[in-house]
Amino acid sequence: MKRRLSIALGVVLLVAVIGVIVFDRDDETPTRDVVVRGVIGSEKLAFFRDERVREAFAAHGVTVEVDTAGSRQIATTVDLAGYDFVFPSSQPAAQRIQRDRNVTTAYTPFQSPMAVATFAPVVEVLERAGVIRDGLLDVGRYLELARAGTRWDELPGNTEFRARKSVLITTTDPRDSNSAAMYVAIASYVANGNAVVASQDAEARLLPELTGLFLRQGYAQSSSAGPFEDYLVAGMGRVPMALVYESQFLGRQVRGDGTIQPDMRLVYLAPTVYSEHTLVPLTDPGDEVGRLLTTDDRLGRLAAEFGFRTSDPGVFADVMAEHDLTAPDLVDVVEPPSFETLERLLDGIEARYS
Amino acid sequence: MGRKALASVLAVAAVLAGCDSAPEPAAESAVLRVLAGSELADLEPVLDEAARVTGVRVEFTFTGTLEGTETLASGEADGAFDAVWFSSNRYPRSLPEADRRLGDEVKIMRSPVVLGLPEAKVRELGWDRTRPTWADIAEAAGQGRFTYGMTDPSASNSGFSALVGVASALAGTGDAVTPDQIDAVAPAMTRFFSAQKLSAGSSGWLSEEYQRRLAGTAPGPKVDGLINYESVLRTLPTPLTVVYPADGVVTADYPLTVLTSASADARAAHQRLADHLRSPETQRRIMADTYRRPAVPGVALSDEFAVRDLVELPFPATQDAMDALLRAYFNELRRPSRTLYVLDTSGSMQGERIAGLKSALVALTGADGSLVGRYRGFRSREEVTLLPFGTVPGRPRTFTLPPGDPAAELARISAYAEALTARGGTAIYDSLVRAYELLGDPDPARFTSIVLMTDGENRNGSPLTAFERELRASPSRAVPVFTVLYGESHAADMTRVAELTGGEVFDARSSSLAEVFRDIRGYQ
Repeated sequence: MKRRLSIALGVVLLVAVIGVIVFDRDDETPTRDVVVRGVIGSEKLAFFRDERVREAFAAHGVTVEVDTAGSRQIATTVDLAGYDFVFPSSQPAAQRIQRDRNVTTAYTPFQSPMAVATFAPVVEVLERAGVIRDGLLDVGRYLELARAGTRWDELPGNTEFRARKSVLITTTDPRDSNSAAMYVAIASYVANGNAVVASQDAEARLLPELTGLFLRQGYAQSSSAGPFEDYLVAGMGRVPMALVYESQFLGRQVRGDGTIQPDMRLVYLAPTVYSEHTLVPLTDPGDEVGRLLTTDDRLGRLAAEFGFRTSDPGVFADVMAEHDLTAPDLVDVVEPPSFETLERLLDGIEARYS
Repeated sequence: MGRKALASVLAVAAVLAGCDSAPEPAAESAVLRVLAGSELADLEPVLDEAARVTGVRVEFTFTGTLEGTETLASGEADGAFDAVWFSSNRYPRSLPEADRRLGDEVKIMRSPVVLGLPEAKVRELGWDRTRPTWADIAEAAGQGRFTYGMTDPSASNSGFSALVGVASALAGTGDAVTPDQIDAVAPAMTRFFSAQKLSAGSSGWLSEEYQRRLAGTAPGPKVDGLINYESVLRTLPTPLTVVYPADGVVTADYPLTVLTSASADARAAHQRLADHLRSPETQRRIMADTYRRPAVPGVALSDEFAVRDLVELPFPATQDAMDALLRAYFNELRRPSRTLYVLDTSGSMQGERIAGLKSALVALTGADGSLVGRYRGFRSREEVTLLPFGTVPGRPRTFTLPPGDPAAELARISAYAEALTARGGTAIYDSLVRAYELLGDPDPARFTSIVLMTDGENRNGSPLTAFERELRASPSRAVPVFTVLYGESHAADMTRVAELTGGEVFDARSSSLAEVFRDIRGYQ
């Protein structure tokens, strides 16, 4: 770490000549400042734009500027020239960037399980249909409904939500976004008889069903902030069930900003996967951001306040307890398939869009 | 007024948010060049305020959704614009070449595309008691129980959303509609579109013409209602009662989207502006002033919105499905067109001008393969008459395009156009009167319209007043005349003709004749 610091300072001296102001680290007197630019998954935007987070970085002489993009876009189409780090929402996307750009370092400062944001009436309907039990959405039962093309108004005894729309979880576009890829990881595991997909035969067999889960929804947005915001703003008729990172929902509950209405519910998937938000540095200042996120106590606590499960589970548990929230320890957690398998599945789905 | 001679309805550049003499600009001033849907013009006061607070002034260039998508996909937007702001990104996102140029998108407001009718009509149809489904609406439309106007789906997002929404709802699978389902829903869709008695290339012209006809200041038959954004229907001088179909709607969400080619400064300006527009105060102001729904969590919908939780119909994700729907709409589902072109082939048209006319006509026979052009050519089931004139009206030639593949007839139109020659004088009004004679009493099963293109003043035959007299004598024949200014045409007279007939003036002096002919197709 010392060595990296001295390199950073060397860079800083050069940069200072061309007029960038940088903080002095020793006494935290803001005399000089480095602007560090990154591309991140949209679900972390609120965190990076938060005033306290900016102050926490500023205390180390760092100003972080971010642009958002879908995690797969970050790994494939976004021009990364001029950026100091990328911070997609999953390891597979991060690994691809590491491989493509020959970067060995990566930081995973926080993670978040995939869940479903929904509404009390929808929960009742799905409990009656045996899809939700004890607050967990049984992905196997859900896939049976999806396979049959069942519409909400066809569910027996449903008086609460009689929309003439298929029972489908609203996701992001699998061509762009990590949360959709995480959904593929979960659905492929269950549809494969509760086993991680590990053969090309299995991929070929599962592809039609997986494709249907997306194409039947129609147009999907490219970043996970989109469906969640629609869920919050436009309600049940627009998005009865949104695939979200747990952090998106918890973060708003912690902030108590009034956007989580009394009839809104967070339901966990069984099984689910953890999305591991992974920062890949592209420059030394980018590396500094990764290091700070992983080691700085103040940033760790702030991450927990944004609903992320931190590398020190105690921090996250404390923040939840302080806000009378419960985030269960999830036991039914599966591993995503290998990077190559997941990419092939996503490519296979993508091919069906044109 | 929309009556002003428009440069081009689809490409009017307008600087909206002017620099008021704000005493102290709150932030660094910047200009954000935005390619946008024309219905955003009503945000002018909001954007003025935004410019004062954020220092970011929006410079709009208006376009249609398909045209804007083409501008993006071709790369022409790179460097020319910093951001796009359409009513939805669904169409551009379906094209990889356009999609990859779209950066951060920030939704600013929402408005569903719905049916607006006078309150009495809603009661008569029983829709005040039970919300109808799109199938119910199609049924009533087919029975002639109401009529409506809608924008051309290839020109404007409101028409496009309605087309896709109706198809999805009628297919009834609960999923996004697919190309192979279109045949099955075609009969119901044909019934639905049989009640569409007014089409327009722009949403603004549509509501103005609707009101003019209602007030009797335009000669065309009155139309009961409009399919348009809730925000448009509710802000008409006499607001319409909104019918929210029970099975769902398609909602515009107005994503202000920075381009990936934008500079760092432009990206920062985009964010400053978006943050301001999404602040609770601005969201409430947009809601109160424009009747659009807020897009920001935590900003509550005001009590004025009676129907709050709307089911959103799935929208297809593939360009295949969207194109199949557009093709079906123009060639099978909508009322066929009866179109007559009165074309100046006088001596002054010699050289470049006649060449421009030829290529403008040939473009409509399928030569224009652009995203928009594909839907603006002559269509299956259309009847097209070309009436060239010089010193006297020439011999009309009528082409009847069959259902199905019209290629052979299109080739004949193309050959005819190529053979046009310029000679003689300019008998505008004799020719226009002749056009009216040829059309007779318009067939209500068709969209009937005239295009009048001339490059000079009336030199031969009867004057404008003679045409006015004819028109007064047989008001039932009123067919809208879309006049085209070209060369030295008499702008005031052409405006008068458009006004008298419920048409519109198009200006081909500053853009090409081909572009204008293409734009006029949205009204035919």
